[in-house]
Amino acid sequence: MKYPLIKIIAFGLIITALLSFVNPPKAKTNGTMVLKFNNLFNNQAVEFGKEYTNAHGEKLTLKTLNYFISNIKLTLKGGGEYVVPQDSCYFLVKQSDIGTQQIVLHNLPAAKYTAISFMVGIDSTRNTTDISRRTGTLDVGSTAKVMYWSWNSGYIFFKMEGQSPVIPDSAGNNFYYHIGGFGGFQSKTINNIRTKSISFNESVSNKNKIPVINIDVDVAALFNYKTPILLAKDPDVMWGELSVKISENYISTFNLGSIDYATATNSDK
Amino acid sequence: MKINKTTIAFVAIIAAISVGFTGINKPKPIEIKIPSNFPDPVYDLKINPVTEEGFELGRKLFYETMLSRDSSVSCGSCHQQQAAFIQAGHNFSHGVGNKHGRRNSLPVFNALFNRTFFWDGGVHNLDMVPINPIENKLEMDEHIDEILLRLNNAALYRQLFKNAFSVDTISTKEFLQALSQFLAAMISADSRYDKYIRHEGVQLTPEELAGLQLFKMKCSSCHATDLFTDGSYRNNGITNDFRFDKGRAEITLNQNDKGKFKVPSLRNVEYTAPYMHTGSLETLEQVLEHYNSGIKESETLDSIFRNKDGVPRIALTPDEQKNIILFLKSLSDTAFINDKRFSEYK
Repeated sequence: MKYPLIKIIAFGLIITALLSFVNPPKAKTNGTMVLKFNNLFNNQAVEFGKEYTNAHGEKLTLKTLNYFISNIKLTLKGGGEYVVPQDSCYFLVKQSDIGTQQIVLHNLPAAKYTAISFMVGIDSTRNTTDISRRTGTLDVGSTAKVMYWSWNSGYIFFKMEGQSPVIPDSAGNNFYYHIGGFGGFQSKTINNIRTKSISFNESVSNKNKIPVINIDVDVAALFNYKTPILLAKDPDVMWGELSVKISENYISTFNLGSIDYATATNSDK
Repeated sequence: MKINKTTIAFVAIIAAISVGFTGINKPKPIEIKIPSNFPDPVYDLKINPVTEEGFELGRKLFYETMLSRDSSVSCGSCHQQQAAFIQAGHNFSHGVGNKHGRRNSLPVFNALFNRTFFWDGGVHNLDMVPINPIENKLEMDEHIDEILLRLNNAALYRQLFKNAFSVDTISTKEFLQALSQFLAAMISADSRYDKYIRHEGVQLTPEELAGLQLFKMKCSSCHATDLFTDGSYRNNGITNDFRFDKGRAEITLNQNDKGKFKVPSLRNVEYTAPYMHTGSLETLEQVLEHYNSGIKESETLDSIFRNKDGVPRIALTPDEQKNIILFLKSLSDTAFINDKRFSEYK
């Protein structure tokens, strides 16, 4: 035998040793960052039942405000980016549940960051996958119960409901904006996946401290940012072309607020 | 043998160990045999391998009325085995409160080969299929979380889920995976035609063979492969009034898809009357006469039906129709519709 087993094993060991030298030491991944979503209407914190007026002079109250945040990426100072792992990157923010309005990202590299990007919605892969990859936030029988269309299988990305006197009593004065659509499976359909990139305008470090990135979501812009949406004319938008205009409007409402710092607990140091 | 305390203790320990072993026994896998004349399955059985425990649980859930709001209907109410898993004698299925659905129910066999589901293709993964009829207000009008509550409150179900999936609490995932296992195992591929085409010692009659030849010429471009569907969406001219039901266009919002519906498989078609998404044709004779003389003109009518003179029809003489029907009946899988494994009661 030309290459006895022992030589092959020795060769393998040398290669392994060399490779471990070539591999750079892994960055510490004990950093944390908090994303805080502040729902606003015309710069006031959203309260259900409180009366607001949109840009068209229509009075309204809100009773539901939910949206999915997913596929978070952080830009590292000096280039490169950190992609939050898929399996821990789907969040449902609900106005009715204060705990959901703070997204805590654990196990990040302790580093300096300059920007963040995220999807408002759910990517097409998770919209078409089998049930084993729809657990946690994506569980259609639990957390995502009210955020899924069963007949037109896909997640509702953004849901805002309420009432307005401009809508007839016969319709219970109710308006419904249920916005979804991942682009279609076999045929091209509406794609309302919107990605927002936000620059921090400064270098944000999570070494020995926890940055709290406030993201202000002023949903008043849903009615007028790019395309005017009138409650009197379109109180009920779900699976339809107008939903694209609404998603274009609401993505503009996600903007950087203040950046604060919390003290890291021992486990984060 | 003298029985003393030591012996009793010894026996008790052995018994406890064996019970313990049975308790942690892995579910027994069931091999899903893909018929040699079928295409590859679409559903990934590696993610959700079918086991005896999972399949049995799926069967129990399929016939469980607890899945509907008022416990009046189960999946099996609208998908009856004797009718090859459609609802016999109904053009639109009956749901809770005796409400009627909007479309003729489709058979549920060979589901693991489907890329999309329902007449309009609105669902893309087998696991997600049951949620549609469960949540539909005209069908079962229930929510998954309510069902999970009921199942988790039932000691028997908790045990069955533990046996099949090693979980203490039943969640959406295991609930839908159990149903998928039952559906995935539900393969119908033992008709006389199958045995003929696979050379398993069955010969079709001269009339059936003549029907098969005609079928290949006139029907198989849509009812393609041995699944007898190409999975596409087409307007076959059964109606030209789409106000009640726009079909595929309700999913794509594309006006060119108005009145288009999924080409259904023709397997077991002898048992699945009435026909079409409207359920408006009672017999196979009426179906073939529809294609011969009854196709209704509309903008989205499939161009495949147009002759050189522009008239939409598949010209078929009475003899040709008769032979095609004889051939279609060779697609009947009597073993399948009588297979006790899929029945409500064994």
